[in-house]
Parts: sequence; structure tokens; C-alpha cells
Amino acid sequence: MALFTPTFSLKSLTSTTSQRRRFGHSNWSFTARATVAVDAPSSSASDRGGAAPKLLLEVKDLSAVIADSKQPILKGVNLTVHEGEVHTVMGKNGSGKSTFAKVLVGHPDYEITGGSITYKGQDLVQMEPEERATAGLFMSFQSPVAIPGVSNIDFLNMAYNARRRKLGLPELGPIEFYGYVAPKLELVNMKIDLLNRNVNEGFSGGERKRNEILQLAVLGADLAILDEIDSGLDVDALRDVAKAVNRILTPKNSILMITHYLRLLEFIKPTYIHIMENGRIVKTGDISLAETLEREGYKAIA
Amino acid sequence: MATTNSMSISTLNSYYLPKSRTPPPRRSAYKPPRTTTTTVFAQPPTLAILSDPHVLRLAETLEDSIAASSSAASPPLPLQKLRDISSQSLLSTPWPSRKDELFRFTDTSFIKNSEIQPIPPSEMQSIASLSILGDTVFPNLAIVDGYLVDSLSNSSGLPNGVFVGPLSRLNSEDIMKRVSKYVSSFQGDLFWSLNGVGAPDVIVVYVPEGCKVENPLHLRLFSFNGSDKDSKTLPISNPRVLVLVEKGGEIGIVEEYSGGEGNDKCYWTNSVMEIVIGDGAKVSHSYVQSQSLGAAHVKWTSVRQESTSVYELIEVSTGGKLSRHNVHVQQVGPDTVTELSTFHLSIGDQLQDLHSKLVLDHPRGVSRQLHKCIVAHSLGQAVFDGNVQVNRDAQQTDAGQLTRSLLLEPRATVNVKPNLQIIADDVKCSHGAAISDLEENQLFYFQARGIDLQSARRALIFSFAAEVVQCFPDASVQKKVESLIRKLLDPALP
Repeated sequence: MALFTPTFSLKSLTSTTSQRRRFGHSNWSFTARATVAVDAPSSSASDRGGAAPKLLLEVKDLSAVIADSKQPILKGVNLTVHEGEVHTVMGKNGSGKSTFAKVLVGHPDYEITGGSITYKGQDLVQMEPEERATAGLFMSFQSPVAIPGVSNIDFLNMAYNARRRKLGLPELGPIEFYGYVAPKLELVNMKIDLLNRNVNEGFSGGERKRNEILQLAVLGADLAILDEIDSGLDVDALRDVAKAVNRILTPKNSILMITHYLRLLEFIKPTYIHIMENGRIVKTGDISLAETLEREGYKAIA
Repeated sequence: MATTNSMSISTLNSYYLPKSRTPPPRRSAYKPPRTTTTTVFAQPPTLAILSDPHVLRLAETLEDSIAASSSAASPPLPLQKLRDISSQSLLSTPWPSRKDELFRFTDTSFIKNSEIQPIPPSEMQSIASLSILGDTVFPNLAIVDGYLVDSLSNSSGLPNGVFVGPLSRLNSEDIMKRVSKYVSSFQGDLFWSLNGVGAPDVIVVYVPEGCKVENPLHLRLFSFNGSDKDSKTLPISNPRVLVLVEKGGEIGIVEEYSGGEGNDKCYWTNSVMEIVIGDGAKVSHSYVQSQSLGAAHVKWTSVRQESTSVYELIEVSTGGKLSRHNVHVQQVGPDTVTELSTFHLSIGDQLQDLHSKLVLDHPRGVSRQLHKCIVAHSLGQAVFDGNVQVNRDAQQTDAGQLTRSLLLEPRATVNVKPNLQIIADDVKCSHGAAISDLEENQLFYFQARGIDLQSARRALIFSFAAEVVQCFPDASVQKKVESLIRKLLDPALP
């Protein structure tokens, strides 16, 4: 008797978005424990001396479909992010949150069918994914793919050098780079042997999330898009990850984060909360919106 | 009844080749099947039908060459036995055609249409002084064109009781007895038998009971004689190695094939390694083949695993115009562990073929097989036939097999035939085959971190191979193979 069990696997992920908000009174209120990172962040927006923060990202009437099936996912998303703002997108499963994040970084599974995205004054849609990344756009993947055969440190080194090239800086060799990257591990509370393991291969859910944040720490970002960095994490791991994010980013960095839970927002304080529904941002507010949501569910804000 | 100790093909040729073609008489039903030399002679005409004149001529050429080069002293008994068995089987083995299942995807006409020239041993000494092989810190044997070259070898530093050397120099009667038992205890195909007829000696690696050899033994097989591309001749070498590890012993073998300057020299390496692993013993076998792109490389690895023994094979093959590796693993006791990790690379007009067969006849065997190949040329081809037999008594077997092929050029070809035959009913078997370009979501992950598509593709292609290369237990081998692959792939990639 012969037995055949061919294995194939296909994966596709979908999700949601946000809307716009003006008023650049950015409210960067992390506890300033930031000993690391680039410049030490000052703890409140008032230190900024009133100058209106710069426009970073402007999304207008963005609509997008799944490239294969042409199924519409985003149906007119509007969102504006200024330097230093923390935006949170919440919404039911399938409302388009993750799709929005992926469209911003140029994921090939989606096709933009309308609207515009302007990032630092440039038309983001015309940029290749790697150009978006070197321009300071970073997305942490909800479930990052494993890459057997490529060690974590090689991967980070390649990515870091790509960014250095873009900035016209000399690239770092493996030894110099090791010196640069080793201290960053402490930030995400990971062991050094993580560097020699293959990218995400055999990583637990928590390790994958930490690894994403490690990449953020190494590469830096002007706009960090954090797609459910809290999913699958226990309380301690969540605190580690959130703490790391707070230490990595400065008051000039902006965050767009997607989450289902208030818990994360206790660690990373949002300037705005957006509720996404059926491919659109239907409501925008402050932290109280998330609190209502946590208490009463989506019905309460419908 | 006619009996001879050493049957010779030429004797038989004089009987059966064109001049004497008598019609075969019917074989009487009660006669025993022809299994001995004796019967062969008693039944000549039957053979005439099955014999392939081309094969017989080739066998005769090899035999003549051995006769001419060997000294007057008769060969050690096991070697004689090997030659007899091999000669005999060649009498009834035709040259394989594409109609044979085992050669369905593998065209051997390149070898068949070439004039095969045995390489005499005298030519060896002249190159003995050349440092063609580079240095190695490990105990090693240099085997050039199938002949052991003492001046380039160094087998010092091995533990007491370990024997590494040619059978003709083996003095221990006990070891000789053990060797006799296993030499050619298995029957392969035509190429296996041609090797048996053409092998000048058998290199024996003997590890006594309980002996753990710390450093890997490096077998460096080098093809020195080669013909030019258009000459249509193939100098042939027939290296043969027997590895015998007694109960509880352990050894690592690094078997490395290379060949001279230039990448278009033509030669034919027709190699056989037999490995016998005793109870609880372990053999880690690294095999690297980077011969000329004009060469034919045919290789047999036959492994016999006794209870609780471990066999690991890590292979990387990149060379040869026609390269075929036949791996046969036979389990002869329970609780064995078998791990096969192989990587084949076709960067030119070349064929890389792996035929593996794993036969499990006892309970609780564990096997893991991973075969990967990259075809990076529109005329390149890769073949994989991976057979796993889980027979009636092999209950609670845990057998896994996975093959992945990467086709990087239009018209690049891969033929894969993974197959499991399961008779036992309490087993865990898995099997998967994937043929693809690179994974989109992996490429995107690189891009999302700022790495351009071309660099990402390159990294992923190397990583595809790395999964196997990382399995080499010896770091220096790993490094060497990594740079070999890099050197081959870099110009081949767009």
C-alpha cells in the first residue's frame, strides 16, 4: 500500500483602518525612562514650545482590494499623523486594520484602487516596499514569517546596511555590527543566542514579537506601525515589549498601532483612538473611547 | 560440472559475443536458478539472451586493465569474491534505458556513447608529489583516480585497533574475516557491478567495538586524468570503500570528490561505498561532490544498520554533467535512527540525480529525510526518487520525508518521485513535496526591512541551500561548502 500526503500551505491575512484628525497637539506622555535610543525624549509635548508638529503621513480616501480576488477591504480611509503622535486603530476582526497597515508598507497581496497616501511629502504609493522602509516606515508583522537558513544577525545586518547606504553612511561589517546590535538585545530582554538562530525559525509567539521590536530598535523608524504586538503575549512579555517600544522611540517618532485591548494602551499612551469598521474609520476619540470599548464592546460605540 | 574460482568476462565473451550465437535450448523446469558460477557455465545460452554486448565489452576492458596492473600475487579473498560476484551479475545486466523505472528520468547515454578508458596505476606516481589536494589537519586518505596515494595520505592519529587502508595491506585475520562477510553483501545496479569489476582494491575503514574516533576521517577523492570535451572518451576510475563499525563504535567520514583545473574536463568517477553499522554504533557521513561540469559521477552508498545504530548522511552535490547518487539504507535491527539531508545544485547543462531507498524491517526505526535542489539553468535538470519501505514488522516506525525544489530559470526541470510503501499498520509517516520559486512572503519580509528584491532573492537562495549545509557536523567542511556554493551561484544568478 502506498500512502501519499503532499503538504501544501497557503496563507492570507486581511484586516482594517483609520480616519483623520488634525490638531497637532501631540501628547507624548511616556514615562521618560529612555536611556537608550537616539536623543533622550522630553516627557511632555509642552516642551516643544508651541510650534506645530510636522505632518508625517496623510491618507486620503484610501481604498484597496485583495490582489487575487479583487475583494474590497479598504473603502475610503482617512488618517493624518503628525510627528510625535501615537495613533491607535481598533476594530472588530475583519474590519480592515491589518490590511491598512500592510497597504501602508506596500504588501503585494493588496492593490490600491483609490485615494492617496503621502508620507513626508512624497507619494508613498509610488515607492517600492524597501524604499518605504529605508525612508523610516517600519511595520512589525502580526505573524512574522520564518526564514530558515538566514541567521537573525545576518538579516539585521543586511537591513541595517541598507538603511546606512540610503543615508550615505559606510556599511558595518559583521564584527562592528555585532557590537552595535548586542546591547539592543537587552532592550527586548532576549538572550544573545537569538542572534545566531535563523530568523523566526522555531521562535515562540512571544519571541517573534520581541524579535520584531528588536528589528525596530536596530533600524529605528519615523513611523512605527505596530500590528497587534500584544496578541499572544502574557502580561510580563507585554510589559517588556511595550517598555522596549517606549525606550526606542523619541518624541519625534510617531506610532500607528493596531490592537484589540486596552491593556497595551496603558503602556503606550495613545494620542488618538480610531475605530475601524468595514474598511473605514468611523469614529475618532481619545483614550476614553478605548475604555468604553473595553467595558461595553463595539455595540456601545456603533 | 565446470567450476572456476575467478570467472572472467573475457572467457564468457568468447562464448557469447557475436561469433558464437547458438540458439538457446529450453531450460528445464527443475534446474535450480542460476545463482552460482557453476550453473552459469552449465547454462550458457540462456545468458546469451540477457547479456548486453556493450556491457560485456566494457567489463572486459576493466578486467584487462586490472589484470595488467595487478602484481602476480593473487588478490585477497574478499576482493576476489567481489570481482566474481560482480562479473557474474554483469553477464545478465543490460545497460539501463529510459524504460527502466530507475532510469526513467536519467539519461545515461552520455556515458554509453563515450569510449571508456581505464586509468593505469603507473600514472599515479608521477603526480604523487603534487600538492593538488591542499592541506587538511584531519587523518585523511588521498585517492587519485581510484588509487590510494600514500604520499598524500596521513592516517596517523587514529585510535588503536582502527584500520584505515587498502584491503591488500590488511594483515589482521579477524578483520579480514569480518570484511569478507560484508564485501558485496548487497547487489546494486549495473554501475555497482562495474565498480566491483574495475576497483583496483577496496579501501577498508574498520572501527573496533566501542571505539569512538574523535576526528573525522577525510577521504579525498580526486580525478586527475581527464579528456577534452570533444574527445568522446572518458577515463574511468572505480574507487571502492568499505566502512565497518563494530558495536558501539563511532566515526565521522568526510567523503569529498573533486577534479583538477578547468571545469570542462571529462572523466567518469564510478564510486561505491558500503557502510556496515553495528549495534549502537554511529556513522556520520559527509559527502561533497564538486567534480568537473564535463564529468560523469555515479555513486553508490549502501548502508546496513543494526539495532539502535545511527546513520547520518549530509550531502552537497554541485558537479558533474551527469551525477547520480544511489543511497540504499537497509535496517537489520530495531530502534535505528537514519537522517538523510541532501542538497543538489544544477547551475549548467547538467543533471543531478538522487535515488534513495530506505528499507525498514524492524520496529521503532526513526528516519528523517530532507532533499533540496536548485536548478538555475534552462538546460539543468534535477531528479529525486525517494523510496521508503515500511514493512510488516516495522511497527511504530516514525518516518518523515520532505523534498523541496527551487526552479530559477524558465525550462529548468525537476522530476521528483517521493514514495512511501507502508505495510505495517502502527506507524507515523509524513511526506511532502514542493516545487516553487521563492516564497513571496519571505521576499516581502526582506523588503519591508529595506532590503532590495535582488539582494533578498540572493539571500533566500543561499538560505535554501544553507538548511542542508548547516547540517555538516564539521565547521571547516561547512565553510568550504558554503563558499563553493557562493562561487557557483553568484555568476549564475541574474
